[in-house]
Amino acid sequence: MRRHAFLTVVVIVLASLWSGCGSARRGEPIAGPMVIASPEIKQGQQAFMKHCHQCHPGGEAGLGPALNNKPLPQFLMRFQVRQGFGAMPAFSEQEINDEDLDHLLAYLKALKSHG
Amino acid sequence: MRLLRHSRRPWVIGSALLLLLGHLAGCFSSRSPDGGSQAKFTLPRHINADDVALPSGYRIDAVATGLTFPTGVAFDREGRVYVTEAGYSYGEVWDIPRLVRINADGSMAVVAVGENNGPWTGVAFHEGTFYVAEGGALRGGRILRITPEGAVTPLVENLPSMGDHQTNGPVMGSDGWLYFGVGTFTNAGVAGEDNVKFGWLGRFPYHHDIPCRDVTLTGENFRSGNPLTPNDDDTMLTGAFVPLGTTTSQGQKIRGQTPCSGAIMRVRPNGDEPELLAWGFRNPFGLAFSPDGRLFVTDNSYDDRGSRPVHGTGDLLWEVRSGHWYGWPDFHGTRLLNDGDHFVPPGKPRPGLLLSKHPGIPPSPVAVLDVHSSSDGFDFSRNPAFGHVGQAFIAQFGDQSPTSGKVLAPVGFKVVRVDVRTGVIEEFAANKGRQNGPASKIGGGGFERPIAARFDPTGSALYVVDFGVMTLGQGGKVRQPWTSSQVAAEPRKGTGVLWRITKPMQ
Repeated sequence: MRRHAFLTVVVIVLASLWSGCGSARRGEPIAGPMVIASPEIKQGQQAFMKHCHQCHPGGEAGLGPALNNKPLPQFLMRFQVRQGFGAMPAFSEQEINDEDLDHLLAYLKALKSHG
Repeated sequence: MRLLRHSRRPWVIGSALLLLLGHLAGCFSSRSPDGGSQAKFTLPRHINADDVALPSGYRIDAVATGLTFPTGVAFDREGRVYVTEAGYSYGEVWDIPRLVRINADGSMAVVAVGENNGPWTGVAFHEGTFYVAEGGALRGGRILRITPEGAVTPLVENLPSMGDHQTNGPVMGSDGWLYFGVGTFTNAGVAGEDNVKFGWLGRFPYHHDIPCRDVTLTGENFRSGNPLTPNDDDTMLTGAFVPLGTTTSQGQKIRGQTPCSGAIMRVRPNGDEPELLAWGFRNPFGLAFSPDGRLFVTDNSYDDRGSRPVHGTGDLLWEVRSGHWYGWPDFHGTRLLNDGDHFVPPGKPRPGLLLSKHPGIPPSPVAVLDVHSSSDGFDFSRNPAFGHVGQAFIAQFGDQSPTSGKVLAPVGFKVVRVDVRTGVIEEFAANKGRQNGPASKIGGGGFERPIAARFDPTGSALYVVDFGVMTLGQGGKVRQPWTSSQVAAEPRKGTGVLWRITKPMQ
């Protein structure tokens, strides 16, 4: 069981390094229009625009690293949003409540798989 | 496998998790800056519209090339196209400001020329007359009235815009007022070594930001090297809203006046005294009215540079409301700059507040655009045939990293559209490729630095003014007055392009 967990971590790290080679571009001119039917994901999109887009424009690299081409486990993303890491600031529940964070992560998942 | 059974296993797993998290975080501090300006370029500029990606159904054409530092576009009653050439660019490159007509075959005819007081940053046409915003790098900003025959008359003069940012706009409202913006002298309220690099501090060592209303200071002063002496060990203290090397004290009042820094003003075309509309902006560059008559502005936000660097502040799209204060130099949007770790540059101190009492709480921005994108001139779609009616199409000049602050990848260099009801930003026109960036960096013949976007009078064509190639030299180092005249920004004359985006009938 523990061996399995260790191997899983190694696989995730390798997959992460490998997937970083893929393009992060998901904008409409490159990947086509992204149709969002779910109200929750639309809500997540607006939360992303308010809090994340400025450093990760459209999920691509900018001030910060790209998000679209990395297999970010949701628990790590949630951890990073709440705690901050490196140059990324922490966002408290007063800034992004748990429900909005759920929607934001759902939007990011949809964005990553778009195109 | 033996290791797995060893007592150090949690350390191994923890290290792997940290490695993963570090990779995901992008290791901002350990990575080199990779801005769009960090490219090598040799003339001539290659132009190929096929290298610009657009949504399905749209097409783009280069309608004029060979422009020098173009900044704005306007249309006369007959729908003919006119472009301003700035006559000045960051990098202290001077040329002659011009208003030129773009003929149908792409040739140009000069309508008017300006003096050595550029940059001309934009143009509007109203009832047979052109109105041009003159940045005023040498003698202060002006709003110029220009007849179709080329006669130039100042409408407004002596605007305090000889610093990092200039006089911008203008745009004519349906109320008969001409609206324009005045940028701040400095990045964040404190003069310093970074302003030497822009060139102006050597010319005007006693200039500083001017508040539009009385403000009271916290009295924080900032230590920097003394850029006016050759001694590396020579340092000085400088406070807010005062000249370089001048200190301030807690409770000190700075008298407000107009015209002032970081403001949106308006004037009647007949030449009455201009009046203040709103203040607390940093560099209010693009101005446009929405189809329902509301005024919006793009505001270039703080850089990570100078004596009071600020990290991670995206450019803002505001709706402009009369009498409001919009937060500079202590807010980004509705958030104070000393709030948590949001604006702390890596390895530098948290920016302290400059004002002991704020003139108000800024309204919420309409949209938060990319950090260092230099989101500039824009317009609203009005024609259903083009699509996205009511949305703002914004030209993004692109980053000037590392001078303005470090980025991990090029930012901007494209046109985005913004739904002003929701703040959702969508890419609209950008260079093709695995990575975004200017053609001089990523290859191809597409965009360099879009600086203005404006629809023609029919609303069926979006014209995009592309300033041309501007790389950065000297690795972003500050130029001292006694060193060679080579400076950081390297704009290339004759590389500007006017693009036109249309949506042909299917």
